[in-house]
Amino acid sequence: MISHLIQDPPKINYIESPAKIDALSDHWGQLVPLASTFDHVDGLFYFTYIVCIFFFVLIAGVLAYSVAKYRRKTWDQPAVSNVTHNTPLEVIWTIIPLIIVMVMFAWGWKGSLDMTVAPADAVQYKAVAKQWSWTFYYPNSKVQSFNEFWVEIDKPAAFTLQSTDVLHAFFLPAMRVKRDIVPGRQGTLWFHPTTKGEYHLFCAEYCGGDHSKMYAKLHVVSAEDYAKKPWDVLKDSTPQEAAASGENLYKQLCISCHSVNGTAGTGPTWKGLFSKQGDNYLGRQREVVTPDGGTQTITVDEAYITESIRKPNEKKVAELPYRNNNMSAFADLDDRRVNCLIAYMKTLADN
Amino acid sequence: MTTHVPALDIHTSEHGSKPNYLNVTKGFKSWALTLDHKRIGLMYLIGVTAAFLAGGVFALLVRLHLWEPHGALFTNATYNQIFTLHGVFMVFIFVIPAIPGSLGNIVLPLMLGAKDVALPRLNLLSFYLWLTGTCFALYAILAGGFDTGWTFYAPYSLYTNQAVVSIGLGIFILGFSSIFTGLNFIVTTHKMRAPGLTWFRMPLFVWAIYATAILQVLATPVLGITVLLVALERIYNIGIFDPRLGGDPVLFEHFFWFYSHPAVYIMVLPAFGIVSELVTVHSRKPLFGYKLIAFSSLAIAVISFLVWGHHMFTSGQSTYAMFAFSFLTFFVAIPTAIKEFSWVATIWKGSIAMNAPMLYTLSFLIIFAIGGLTGVILGALNVDIHLHDTYFVVAHFHYVMMGSIALAFFAGLHHWWPKMFGLMYNEGLAKLACGIIFVGFNATFIPQFIMGSRGMPRRYATYVEDFEMYHKASTLGAIVLGSGVALMVGYLVHSLLAGKKAMQNQWGGVTLDWLSPTPPPLENFDTPPVVTHEVYDYSVLDLKTLQTPVR
Ligand code: HEC
Ligand SMILES: [Cu+2]
Ligand SMILES: [Cu+2]
Repeated sequence: MISHLIQDPPKINYIESPAKIDALSDHWGQLVPLASTFDHVDGLFYFTYIVCIFFFVLIAGVLAYSVAKYRRKTWDQPAVSNVTHNTPLEVIWTIIPLIIVMVMFAWGWKGSLDMTVAPADAVQYKAVAKQWSWTFYYPNSKVQSFNEFWVEIDKPAAFTLQSTDVLHAFFLPAMRVKRDIVPGRQGTLWFHPTTKGEYHLFCAEYCGGDHSKMYAKLHVVSAEDYAKKPWDVLKDSTPQEAAASGENLYKQLCISCHSVNGTAGTGPTWKGLFSKQGDNYLGRQREVVTPDGGTQTITVDEAYITESIRKPNEKKVAELPYRNNNMSAFADLDDRRVNCLIAYMKTLADN
Repeated sequence: MTTHVPALDIHTSEHGSKPNYLNVTKGFKSWALTLDHKRIGLMYLIGVTAAFLAGGVFALLVRLHLWEPHGALFTNATYNQIFTLHGVFMVFIFVIPAIPGSLGNIVLPLMLGAKDVALPRLNLLSFYLWLTGTCFALYAILAGGFDTGWTFYAPYSLYTNQAVVSIGLGIFILGFSSIFTGLNFIVTTHKMRAPGLTWFRMPLFVWAIYATAILQVLATPVLGITVLLVALERIYNIGIFDPRLGGDPVLFEHFFWFYSHPAVYIMVLPAFGIVSELVTVHSRKPLFGYKLIAFSSLAIAVISFLVWGHHMFTSGQSTYAMFAFSFLTFFVAIPTAIKEFSWVATIWKGSIAMNAPMLYTLSFLIIFAIGGLTGVILGALNVDIHLHDTYFVVAHFHYVMMGSIALAFFAGLHHWWPKMFGLMYNEGLAKLACGIIFVGFNATFIPQFIMGSRGMPRRYATYVEDFEMYHKASTLGAIVLGSGVALMVGYLVHSLLAGKKAMQNQWGGVTLDWLSPTPPPLENFDTPPVVTHEVYDYSVLDLKTLQTPVR
């Protein structure tokens, strides 16, 4: 019981921080520039802000004036006034704030209704969140994209949100939308992009280890660019290309748990999964646990790796601590990409 | 500073000659087994201060780590543990017990004119439960730490292979400490008031502690049940919160916030009480709108049970639930605003002493104004969707928890310090420290408001470079804030070793706490006090000697 608590915290590999988006960070407003139609968020935010500044200045001003004017100068100085009530004043300072906050309430409520219901002509996307990557599904496309996605300008985009493990949240600051993603439930969210450009997508709900690296980039592109399906590019015609694409996928999806240099992570290292003998690759021996709790020894091969990616719980690595750690399934990763990953793993073979 | 102290110090208490609660008995056992509310309060004070300093060190580590976009000091996993420790120590071990446990314990019976709390043994038990809960937290750190955040959201808290069960049990036990304290104070307020001390002659600190106590007794059991369920779920896989077993993670959020929103008021109401007390004493003017403040404490206590859903506006609540929770959240702003206005009106045309407790109080009033007003920004549904779980929220609740509650705690500590120890601290250093803390605090959290509204999510070990400037500013502010706190601890400790003797009624208060000898004897009053004047009636104060008529 205790020994499994004392194990080392999982080692996380270094992932490049996403680059700065100049158009966003060189802007001097309090909010990032708005790139969707939800301008009521900005409207109410700045309205409330001004009301707050007004009240703050009022309070701070009265305090400063009082302290300057009524400061106790001699030890025994009594108060100038002993007033304890002023009914008109008390009524005023109850009613006026009440009216103001009710305006804010109604404004915010109306805005949130607008954000709830997607227009009927919205393009339907799906985003799947898992520790710690994003997968995006497009209508009429068998191919997904990872940690990067594209929408067409001036076409409302609606997202179905799913999580395969813990809570996450889909947060696009420039679009003013956010939605928690609850495992076992489906969330929805929509926005209408109005400005071309690149935008940050953050995971806003704490999800453990690499929560802060759970990042994706949104591209809002023109209709022509969108028609070219920029997400559907994969170079895998030669083994070298395939391995290079595999390395890319590794960096997008797997790096937070698997190392390629032999160090331990949440999952086992990929170094030495295969060993190279002449032109042949031999898989290493693996002791695995099946869902019924039994163990068996298998030889690592393409089929085992494919299964490990799509259905990781069918054969779990028996070695500790991996046995107690979880990998969430990449059930929809297509064959070409799985093969790229395998090609990459083979470049990590021992001689 | 032109405040003149009377040259002839006739009313300096002659402690040393008469035994007081500090020196009446000696030895470890006389403290460890004491039933005296003041000694228990002091033990709490030492404990919560240690917790605050530990939490502060974790906070500094967090800020230093965030100096660099890719994280300057730790792995992400370690960072996650440190911010969790910061949250757990500050919320459960420091803020919740801090004011009721220490100042509440020491001052409440004095203000009521009582010899002790109603149930002294239960009081001691509360302290030891607090200590036990804290030990569980320390054990959990040794057992590998925990990385769930102070909110323990399921299902992550169910899956992570860290010491969640130990810390869960710790919080369960801390909860009982809080419940027993609340129970004790309710009974004490009902049963132990001195003759003539009617409900509407009670000082507002008593009202605040009383309203807090109700919340402690009613809300804390829900937290206890929730962490227990998490522990059971982890051990036995029952399927309450775990979606893999058919459970519902959102249910956990409801349970958690059903406690933790009222808990915000468990934390902040005692701070309101301190501030109410201090603005009148140091302005030498009756409190403006006494009854309204007393009732607004109770109103807040009731409404606070009905707004928990505002922590979950992005969780996929039904639109009807959003409607109700947002409406009630705006509603709770009103009694809070009334309080702030009343405090300002109390100071207006007072005789304002610019001493250290008052400076801390004024800092509170400024910072709380910002904390409260930014809460209004967050109450709006569409705006909250953008700001939820960003640094804007982090900054908002630090303005309330650190800037307001901790500052009110410091204010109260400086106010009752002479009463507690019969000694004064160095006022000049105290004012300096207050200034440093005020500047450092705002420098830490104003950048967080800005980066939050620009989209910086909370609980991030690394961040995109867009936010680097704000994080650097915030870290520098935190260093200033930390040095202000260090200075404060320094001169307070120095006061214990070499402080000047305090006066019997150091600030000229007219509530019963200032009638008792300084420091108070074991049973507080030489003769049982009788209250004959209205609360905060400064006309009974002899301004030459700062004495109130003894009855
Ligand atoms: C959240 C952490 C995590 C991520 C992300 C992750 N894995 Fe895993 N992976 C694990 C863990 C833990 C195990 C061991 C337990 C098991 O077999 O399920 C594992 C096991 C494996 C195995 C079996 C390895 C062996 O030595 O037998 C393969 C193959 C694998 N993962 C491939 C991938 C690929 C490909 C990706 C990216 C597309 C990926 N993993 C992403 C955690 C992760
Ligand atoms: Cu996350
Ligand atoms: Cu709340």
